[in-house]
Amino acid sequence: MAVNEALYQAVASGKKKQVQQIVTEAVERGDEVLPLLDESMIPAMQEVGDKFSRGDAFIPEMLIAARAMQAGVDIIEPLLVNSGHKPVARVCIGTVKGDLHDIGKNLVIIMMKSAGFEVIDLGTDCEVEKYRDAVINQGAKVVLASALLSTTMTYMKTLVDGMKDLPDVPIVLGGAPLTQEYVDEIGAHGYGRDASDAVRIVKDLLAKTA
Amino acid sequence: MRLHLISCEVFVREICAAISSSPHTVDVRFLPKGLHNEGGKAMRRVIQQAIDDARDVEHDAVLLGYGLCNNGLVGLRAGEKPLVAIRAHDCMTMFLGSRKKYTDFFFENPGTYFLTSGWIERGISGDQPPSEKGRHTSAYGMSWDELVQYYGEDNATYLVEQVEAETRHYSQLAYIHMGVEPDERFETESRRRASEKGWKFVRLEGNMTLIERLVNGQWDDEDFLVVPPGHEMAPTWGDDIIKAVGG
Repeated sequence: MAVNEALYQAVASGKKKQVQQIVTEAVERGDEVLPLLDESMIPAMQEVGDKFSRGDAFIPEMLIAARAMQAGVDIIEPLLVNSGHKPVARVCIGTVKGDLHDIGKNLVIIMMKSAGFEVIDLGTDCEVEKYRDAVINQGAKVVLASALLSTTMTYMKTLVDGMKDLPDVPIVLGGAPLTQEYVDEIGAHGYGRDASDAVRIVKDLLAKTA
Repeated sequence: MRLHLISCEVFVREICAAISSSPHTVDVRFLPKGLHNEGGKAMRRVIQQAIDDARDVEHDAVLLGYGLCNNGLVGLRAGEKPLVAIRAHDCMTMFLGSRKKYTDFFFENPGTYFLTSGWIERGISGDQPPSEKGRHTSAYGMSWDELVQYYGEDNATYLVEQVEAETRHYSQLAYIHMGVEPDERFETESRRRASEKGWKFVRLEGNMTLIERLVNGQWDDEDFLVVPPGHEMAPTWGDDIIKAVGG
Protein backbone atom coordinates (compact mmCIF):
# COMPACT_ATOMS: atom_id res chain seq x y z
CA MET A 1 0.00 0.00 0.00
CA ALA A 2 1.35 3.38 -0.96
CA VAL A 3 1.39 6.43 1.24
CA ASN A 4 -2.08 7.69 1.93
CA GLU A 5 -1.30 11.27 0.99
CA ALA A 6 -4.41 12.76 2.60
CA LEU A 7 -3.69 10.99 5.88
CA TYR A 8 -0.03 11.98 5.74
CA GLN A 9 -0.92 15.64 5.24
CA ALA A 10 -3.63 15.57 7.89
CA VAL A 11 -1.18 14.26 10.51
CA ALA A 12 1.65 16.56 9.44
CA SER A 13 -0.58 19.64 9.62
CA GLY A 14 -2.26 18.57 12.85
CA LYS A 15 -5.80 18.12 11.47
CA LYS A 16 -7.22 15.81 14.08
CA LYS A 17 -10.76 15.50 12.73
CA GLN A 18 -9.52 14.75 9.23
CA VAL A 19 -7.23 12.04 10.59
CA GLN A 20 -10.11 10.47 12.48
CA GLN A 21 -12.32 10.62 9.42
CA ILE A 22 -9.76 9.13 7.03
CA VAL A 23 -8.77 6.34 9.42
CA THR A 24 -12.37 5.51 10.29
CA GLU A 25 -13.30 5.29 6.61
CA ALA A 26 -10.29 3.08 5.91
CA VAL A 27 -11.21 0.76 8.78
CA GLU A 28 -14.81 0.60 7.62
CA ARG A 29 -13.65 -0.27 4.10
CA GLY A 30 -11.68 -3.11 5.63
CA ASP A 31 -8.26 -1.71 4.67
CA GLU A 32 -5.25 -3.13 6.48
CA VAL A 33 -4.52 -0.84 9.38
CA LEU A 34 -0.81 -1.42 9.90
CA PRO A 35 0.22 0.30 6.64
CA LEU A 36 -1.87 3.33 7.57
CA LEU A 37 0.34 3.65 10.61
CA ASP A 38 3.68 2.55 9.14
CA GLU A 39 3.50 4.22 5.75
CA SER A 40 1.50 7.39 6.37
CA MET A 41 1.07 8.44 9.99
CA ILE A 42 4.52 7.54 11.33
CA PRO A 43 6.44 9.12 8.43
CA ALA A 44 4.28 12.24 8.74
CA MET A 45 5.04 12.53 12.46
CA GLN A 46 8.69 11.86 11.77
CA GLU A 47 8.76 14.62 9.21
CA VAL A 48 7.35 17.08 11.76
CA GLY A 49 9.90 15.81 14.30
CA ASP A 50 12.74 16.26 11.81
CA LYS A 51 11.54 19.76 10.94
CA PHE A 52 11.48 20.55 14.65
CA SER A 53 15.05 19.26 14.97
CA ARG A 54 16.14 21.57 12.13
CA GLY A 55 14.31 24.54 13.60
CA ASP A 56 11.76 24.62 10.77
CA ALA A 57 8.86 23.69 13.05
CA PHE A 58 8.03 24.70 16.59
CA ILE A 59 6.40 23.28 19.69
CA PRO A 60 2.83 24.10 18.56
CA GLU A 61 3.33 22.19 15.28
CA MET A 62 4.72 19.20 17.21
CA LEU A 63 1.86 19.28 19.68
CA ILE A 64 -0.94 19.45 17.14
CA ALA A 65 0.63 16.81 14.88
CA ALA A 66 1.09 14.52 17.90
CA ARG A 67 -2.50 15.07 18.90
CA ALA A 68 -3.77 14.31 15.39
CA MET A 69 -1.60 11.21 15.21
CA GLN A 70 -2.81 10.02 18.62
CA ALA A 71 -6.43 10.40 17.47
CA GLY A 72 -5.67 8.06 14.57
CA VAL A 73 -3.69 5.63 16.73
CA ASP A 74 -6.58 5.43 19.20
CA ILE A 75 -8.79 4.06 16.42
CA ILE A 76 -6.17 1.68 15.07
CA GLU A 77 -4.61 0.42 18.31
CA PRO A 78 -7.26 -2.19 19.28
CA LEU A 79 -7.07 -3.62 15.76
CA LEU A 80 -3.26 -3.79 15.90
CA VAL A 81 -3.37 -5.88 19.07
CA ASN A 82 -5.67 -8.35 17.32
CA SER A 83 -3.37 -8.50 14.33
CA GLY A 84 -0.51 -9.76 16.52
CA HIS A 85 1.53 -6.58 16.06
CA LYS A 86 4.61 -6.76 18.34
CA PRO A 87 6.31 -3.68 19.79
CA VAL A 88 10.00 -3.05 19.04
CA ALA A 89 10.83 -2.98 22.75
CA ARG A 90 9.41 -1.82 26.04
CA VAL A 91 10.84 1.36 27.54
CA CYS A 92 9.92 3.54 30.52
CA ILE A 93 9.91 7.31 30.81
CA GLY A 94 9.29 9.86 33.54
CA THR A 95 10.29 13.36 34.63
CA VAL A 96 12.82 13.34 37.49
CA LYS A 97 12.18 14.06 41.14
CA GLY A 98 10.94 17.59 41.79
CA ASP A 99 10.04 18.21 38.13
CA LEU A 100 6.36 18.31 37.26
CA HIS A 101 6.69 19.51 33.66
CA ASP A 102 5.69 16.83 31.21
CA ILE A 103 4.88 18.36 27.81
CA GLY A 104 8.30 17.34 26.48
CA LYS A 105 8.06 13.89 28.02
CA ASN A 106 4.62 13.41 26.45
CA LEU A 107 5.98 14.39 23.02
CA VAL A 108 8.73 11.80 23.41
CA ILE A 109 6.09 9.19 24.29
CA ILE A 110 4.21 9.96 21.08
CA MET A 111 7.40 9.75 19.01
CA MET A 112 8.47 6.51 20.70
CA LYS A 113 5.05 4.96 20.13
CA SER A 114 5.19 6.19 16.53
CA ALA A 115 8.43 4.30 16.14
CA GLY A 116 6.80 1.12 17.43
CA PHE A 117 7.91 1.10 21.07
CA GLU A 118 5.75 0.14 24.01
CA VAL A 119 6.10 2.94 26.55
CA ILE A 120 5.55 2.72 30.30
CA ASP A 121 4.67 6.25 31.37
CA LEU A 122 5.97 6.75 34.90
CA GLY A 123 4.52 10.26 35.06
CA THR A 124 6.19 13.15 36.84
CA ASP A 125 8.36 13.65 39.96
CA CYS A 126 9.96 10.17 39.71
CA GLU A 127 12.49 8.94 42.22
CA VAL A 128 15.09 6.33 41.28
CA GLU A 129 12.98 3.50 42.73
CA LYS A 130 10.22 4.16 40.22
CA TYR A 131 12.58 3.74 37.25
CA ARG A 132 14.15 0.66 38.86
CA ASP A 133 10.73 -0.92 39.37
CA ALA A 134 9.88 -0.37 35.69
CA VAL A 135 13.10 -2.14 34.69
CA ILE A 136 13.13 -4.96 37.25
CA ASN A 137 9.42 -5.74 37.50
CA GLN A 138 7.94 -4.46 34.25
CA GLY A 139 10.67 -5.34 31.77
CA ALA A 140 11.68 -1.88 30.52
CA LYS A 141 14.79 -2.21 28.34
CA VAL A 142 15.63 1.50 28.29
CA VAL A 143 15.10 4.25 30.87
CA LEU A 144 14.23 7.72 29.62
CA ALA A 145 14.14 10.70 31.96
CA SER A 146 13.53 14.39 31.45
CA ALA A 147 13.88 17.64 33.39
CA LEU A 148 12.77 21.12 32.43
CA LEU A 149 14.65 23.01 35.13
CA SER A 150 18.35 23.19 35.89
CA THR A 151 17.28 22.89 39.54
CA THR A 152 15.84 19.40 38.98
CA MET A 153 18.33 18.34 36.32
CA THR A 154 20.88 17.65 39.07
CA TYR A 155 18.74 14.68 40.19
CA MET A 156 19.74 12.92 36.96
CA LYS A 157 23.13 12.15 38.49
CA THR A 158 21.32 10.48 41.40
CA LEU A 159 19.32 8.48 38.87
CA VAL A 160 22.39 7.36 36.92
CA ASP A 161 24.23 6.43 40.13
CA GLY A 162 21.17 4.55 41.38
CA MET A 163 21.02 2.41 38.21
CA LYS A 164 24.68 1.37 38.20
CA ASP A 165 23.88 -2.23 39.19
CA LEU A 166 21.75 -2.50 36.02
CA PRO A 167 24.45 -1.75 33.43
CA ASP A 168 22.59 -3.43 30.56
CA VAL A 169 19.79 -0.88 30.70
CA PRO A 170 20.71 2.30 28.82
CA ILE A 171 19.64 5.62 30.33
CA VAL A 172 18.66 8.35 27.87
CA LEU A 173 18.14 11.88 29.12
CA GLY A 174 16.54 15.01 27.72
CA GLY A 175 15.07 18.39 28.59
CA ALA A 176 15.62 22.08 28.01
CA PRO A 177 18.65 22.68 30.30
CA LEU A 178 20.57 19.53 29.32
CA THR A 179 23.63 19.28 27.13
CA GLN A 180 25.65 16.38 25.74
CA GLU A 181 28.50 17.47 27.99
CA TYR A 182 26.38 17.12 31.13
CA VAL A 183 25.01 13.74 30.07
CA ASP A 184 28.54 12.46 29.40
CA GLU A 185 29.82 13.85 32.67
CA ILE A 186 27.25 12.05 34.83
CA GLY A 187 27.73 8.83 32.86
CA ALA A 188 24.34 8.40 31.19
CA HIS A 189 24.23 6.55 27.85
CA GLY A 190 22.43 8.98 25.60
CA TYR A 191 21.17 12.52 25.18
CA GLY A 192 18.06 13.28 23.16
CA ARG A 193 18.17 16.88 21.95
CA ASP A 194 14.49 16.63 21.11
CA ALA A 195 11.76 14.02 20.75
CA SER A 196 12.91 12.71 17.33
CA ASP A 197 16.49 12.58 18.46
CA ALA A 198 15.51 10.59 21.57
CA VAL A 199 13.98 7.90 19.35
CA ARG A 200 17.10 7.71 17.21
CA ILE A 201 19.34 7.45 20.27
CA VAL A 202 17.23 4.69 21.83
CA LYS A 203 17.26 2.71 18.58
CA ASP A 204 21.05 3.07 18.30
CA LEU A 205 21.61 1.98 21.90
CA LEU A 206 19.34 -1.04 21.54
CA ALA A 207 21.10 -2.02 18.30
CA LYS A 208 24.43 -1.98 20.15
CA THR A 209 23.20 -4.11 23.03
CA ALA A 210 21.30 -6.56 20.80
CA MET B 1 32.54 52.38 40.79
CA ARG B 2 30.27 52.87 37.83
CA LEU B 3 28.34 49.64 37.26
CA HIS B 4 26.27 48.67 34.25
CA LEU B 5 23.42 46.34 35.18
CA ILE B 6 21.56 44.28 32.60
CA SER B 7 18.52 42.69 34.16
CA CYS B 8 15.31 40.86 33.54
CA GLU B 9 12.43 43.28 34.07
CA VAL B 10 10.95 40.88 36.60
CA PHE B 11 13.22 42.62 39.14
CA VAL B 12 12.24 46.21 38.31
CA ARG B 13 10.95 47.16 41.77
CA GLU B 14 13.62 45.28 43.72
CA ILE B 15 16.56 46.50 41.63
CA CYS B 16 15.40 50.12 41.58
CA ALA B 17 14.99 49.98 45.37
CA ALA B 18 18.46 48.45 45.81
CA ILE B 19 20.13 50.92 43.44
CA SER B 20 18.67 53.85 45.33
CA SER B 21 20.90 53.07 48.31
CA SER B 22 23.95 51.66 46.47
CA PRO B 23 27.26 53.42 47.18
CA HIS B 24 28.04 53.05 43.47
CA THR B 25 26.65 54.67 40.34
CA VAL B 26 24.54 52.00 38.70
CA ASP B 27 23.19 52.30 35.18
CA VAL B 28 20.49 49.79 34.47
CA ARG B 29 18.99 48.31 31.35
CA PHE B 30 15.96 46.08 31.72
CA LEU B 31 15.23 43.41 29.11
CA PRO B 32 11.81 41.83 28.51
CA LYS B 33 10.66 39.17 30.96
CA GLY B 34 9.50 36.91 28.13
CA LEU B 35 13.12 36.20 27.10
CA HIS B 36 13.27 33.02 29.16
CA ASN B 37 10.44 31.58 27.10
CA GLU B 38 12.55 31.89 23.96
CA GLY B 39 15.00 29.18 25.02
CA GLY B 40 18.61 29.38 26.15
CA LYS B 41 20.17 30.33 22.83
CA ALA B 42 17.81 33.21 22.05
CA MET B 43 18.14 34.53 25.59
CA ARG B 44 21.93 34.37 25.41
CA ARG B 45 21.96 36.21 22.08
CA VAL B 46 19.90 39.12 23.40
CA ILE B 47 21.86 39.42 26.66
CA GLN B 48 25.20 39.17 24.84
CA GLN B 49 24.09 41.97 22.56
CA ALA B 50 23.26 44.07 25.63
CA ILE B 51 26.71 43.30 27.09
CA ASP B 52 28.36 44.26 23.80
CA ASP B 53 26.30 47.47 23.65
CA ALA B 54 27.76 48.42 27.05
CA ARG B 55 31.16 48.90 25.37
CA ASP B 56 30.17 52.43 24.56
CA VAL B 57 29.25 53.25 28.15
CA GLU B 58 31.80 54.13 30.80
CA HIS B 59 31.74 51.39 33.47
CA ASP B 60 33.89 49.19 35.72
CA ALA B 61 31.84 45.99 35.53
CA VAL B 62 28.73 44.59 33.89
CA LEU B 63 26.23 43.04 36.33
CA LEU B 64 23.60 40.49 35.37
CA GLY B 65 20.17 40.46 36.96
CA TYR B 66 19.55 36.86 35.89
CA GLY B 67 19.77 33.32 37.17
CA LEU B 68 21.12 30.53 34.98
CA CYS B 69 17.55 30.43 33.61
CA ASN B 70 17.69 27.19 31.63
CA ASN B 71 21.20 27.91 30.42
CA GLY B 72 20.29 31.35 29.11
CA LEU B 73 23.58 32.62 30.56
CA VAL B 74 25.78 29.81 29.24
CA GLY B 75 28.37 31.06 26.79
CA LEU B 76 28.00 34.75 27.66
CA ARG B 77 31.34 36.45 27.15
CA ALA B 78 32.70 39.30 29.25
CA GLY B 79 33.95 42.25 27.20
CA GLU B 80 36.77 44.49 28.38
CA LYS B 81 35.33 44.65 31.89
CA PRO B 82 34.34 41.82 34.28
CA LEU B 83 30.88 40.28 34.13
CA VAL B 84 29.25 39.62 37.50
CA ALA B 85 26.41 37.15 38.09
CA ILE B 86 24.65 35.65 41.09
CA ARG B 87 25.05 31.88 41.55
CA ALA B 88 21.37 31.02 41.04
CA HIS B 89 19.36 28.55 39.00
CA ASP B 90 16.64 31.10 38.47
CA CYS B 91 15.17 34.31 39.83
CA MET B 92 13.53 32.64 42.84
CA THR B 93 16.93 32.28 44.48
CA MET B 94 17.41 36.03 44.05
CA PHE B 95 13.98 36.80 45.50
CA LEU B 96 14.52 34.47 48.46
CA GLY B 97 18.08 35.68 49.06
CA SER B 98 19.76 32.27 49.16
CA ARG B 99 20.03 29.33 46.80
CA LYS B 100 19.88 26.89 49.71
CA LYS B 101 16.64 28.43 50.89
CA TYR B 102 15.19 28.13 47.38
CA THR B 103 16.41 24.58 46.80
CA ASP B 104 15.17 23.38 50.19
CA PHE B 105 11.76 24.95 49.63
CA PHE B 106 11.62 23.71 46.03
CA PHE B 107 12.22 20.05 46.84
CA GLU B 108 9.97 20.11 49.89
CA ASN B 109 7.21 21.72 47.79
CA PRO B 110 7.69 20.47 44.20
CA GLY B 111 4.31 21.63 42.90
CA THR B 112 4.75 25.30 43.72
CA TYR B 113 4.10 28.20 41.37
CA PHE B 114 5.91 31.37 42.47
CA LEU B 115 4.73 34.95 42.04
CA THR B 116 6.23 38.33 42.86
CA SER B 117 5.22 41.85 41.87
CA GLY B 118 7.34 41.58 38.71
CA TRP B 119 5.84 38.25 37.75
CA ILE B 120 2.40 39.79 38.01
CA GLU B 121 2.86 43.20 36.43
CA ARG B 122 5.66 42.69 33.90
CA GLY B 123 5.86 41.09 30.46
CA ILE B 124 3.17 39.80 28.18
CA SER B 125 1.19 38.04 30.88
CA GLY B 126 1.23 41.20 32.98
CA ASP B 127 -0.18 43.27 30.15
CA GLN B 128 -2.84 40.83 29.01
CA PRO B 129 -6.45 41.26 29.98
CA PRO B 130 -7.40 38.65 32.56
CA SER B 131 -8.88 36.14 30.13
CA GLU B 132 -7.73 32.52 30.16
CA LYS B 133 -6.77 32.59 26.49
CA GLY B 134 -4.88 35.84 26.76
CA ARG B 135 -2.81 34.66 29.68
CA HIS B 136 -1.69 31.32 28.41
CA THR B 137 -0.68 31.91 24.82
CA SER B 138 2.45 33.84 25.77
CA ALA B 139 4.51 30.63 26.04
CA TYR B 140 4.30 30.22 22.25
CA GLY B 141 5.11 33.87 21.63
CA MET B 142 1.80 34.29 19.84
CA SER B 143 -1.49 35.93 20.61
CA TRP B 144 -4.72 33.95 20.63
CA ASP B 145 -5.69 35.42 17.25
CA GLU B 146 -2.37 34.36 15.75
CA LEU B 147 -2.73 30.83 17.09
CA VAL B 148 -6.20 30.62 15.49
CA GLN B 149 -4.88 32.05 12.24
CA TYR B 150 -2.00 29.56 11.99
CA TYR B 151 -3.52 26.43 13.46
CA GLY B 152 -7.32 26.82 13.48
CA GLU B 153 -9.56 27.34 16.49
CA ASP B 154 -9.73 23.70 17.55
CA ASN B 155 -5.94 23.38 17.66
CA ALA B 156 -5.52 26.82 19.22
CA THR B 157 -7.83 25.77 22.06
CA TYR B 158 -5.81 22.59 22.50
CA LEU B 159 -2.50 24.50 22.52
CA VAL B 160 -3.77 26.88 25.18
CA GLU B 161 -4.90 23.88 27.24
CA GLN B 162 -1.40 22.43 26.95
CA VAL B 163 0.23 25.53 28.44
CA GLU B 164 -2.35 25.39 31.18
CA ALA B 165 -1.60 21.69 31.58
CA GLU B 166 2.05 22.41 32.23
CA THR B 167 0.99 23.45 35.71
CA ARG B 168 -1.69 20.80 36.17
CA HIS B 169 0.44 18.96 38.70
CA TYR B 170 0.93 22.11 40.79
CA SER B 171 -0.83 22.36 44.11
CA GLN B 172 0.43 25.55 45.70
CA LEU B 173 1.08 29.19 44.88
CA ALA B 174 3.80 30.98 46.81
CA TYR B 175 3.74 34.77 46.77
CA ILE B 176 7.12 36.22 47.69
CA HIS B 177 6.73 39.50 49.52
CA MET B 178 9.88 41.60 49.06
CA GLY B 179 8.98 44.66 51.11
CA VAL B 180 9.25 47.03 48.12
CA GLU B 181 5.60 46.79 47.13
CA PRO B 182 3.35 49.83 47.69
CA ASP B 183 0.50 47.92 49.30
CA GLU B 184 -1.25 44.52 49.30
CA ARG B 185 -2.28 44.59 45.64
CA PHE B 186 0.15 41.90 44.47
CA GLU B 187 -0.62 39.61 47.38
CA THR B 188 -4.33 40.06 46.75
CA GLU B 189 -3.85 39.18 43.08
CA SER B 190 -1.77 36.14 44.05
CA ARG B 191 -4.47 34.96 46.45
CA ARG B 192 -7.04 35.42 43.68
CA ARG B 193 -5.01 33.34 41.24
CA ALA B 194 -4.41 30.61 43.82
CA SER B 195 -8.11 30.47 44.56
CA GLU B 196 -8.97 30.40 40.84
CA LYS B 197 -6.68 27.40 40.40
CA GLY B 198 -7.79 25.69 43.58
CA TRP B 199 -4.21 25.84 44.90
CA LYS B 200 -3.08 26.40 48.45
CA PHE B 201 -1.74 29.93 49.00
CA VAL B 202 1.41 30.65 50.98
CA ARG B 203 3.17 33.94 51.55
CA LEU B 204 6.95 33.81 51.78
CA GLU B 205 9.08 36.64 53.04
CA GLY B 206 11.63 37.55 50.40
CA ASN B 207 15.14 38.71 51.10
CA MET B 208 16.87 41.51 49.22
CA THR B 209 20.40 40.46 50.26
CA LEU B 210 21.60 39.00 46.95
CA ILE B 211 20.18 41.84 44.86
CA GLU B 212 21.63 44.45 47.22
CA ARG B 213 25.05 42.82 47.28
CA LEU B 214 25.00 42.68 43.48
CA VAL B 215 24.55 46.44 43.12
CA ASN B 216 26.70 47.24 46.18
CA GLY B 217 29.75 45.50 44.73
CA GLN B 218 29.94 42.85 47.49
CA TRP B 219 30.70 39.91 45.24
CA ASP B 220 32.06 37.12 47.43
CA ASP B 221 32.81 33.85 45.66
CA GLU B 222 30.23 31.88 47.63
CA ASP B 223 27.26 33.65 46.06
CA PHE B 224 28.71 35.46 43.04
CA LEU B 225 30.72 34.67 39.95
CA VAL B 226 33.03 37.32 38.54
CA VAL B 227 33.89 36.44 34.94
CA PRO B 228 37.21 38.05 33.98
CA PRO B 229 37.42 40.05 30.72
CA GLY B 230 37.35 37.82 27.65
CA HIS B 231 36.16 34.75 29.58
CA GLU B 232 32.83 32.96 29.20
CA MET B 233 30.18 31.69 31.58
CA ALA B 234 29.58 27.94 31.81
CA PRO B 235 27.44 25.70 34.01
CA THR B 236 29.21 23.58 36.66
CA TRP B 237 26.33 21.06 37.13
CA GLY B 238 27.04 21.39 40.84
CA ASP B 239 26.04 23.48 43.82
CA ASP B 240 28.08 26.48 42.67
CA ILE B 241 25.97 26.49 39.44
CA ILE B 242 28.20 28.66 37.21
CA LYS B 243 31.90 29.12 36.46
CA ALA B 244 34.15 31.13 34.15
CA VAL B 245 35.97 29.35 31.33
CA GLY B 246 38.33 30.16 28.45
CA GLY B 247 39.96 33.48 27.97
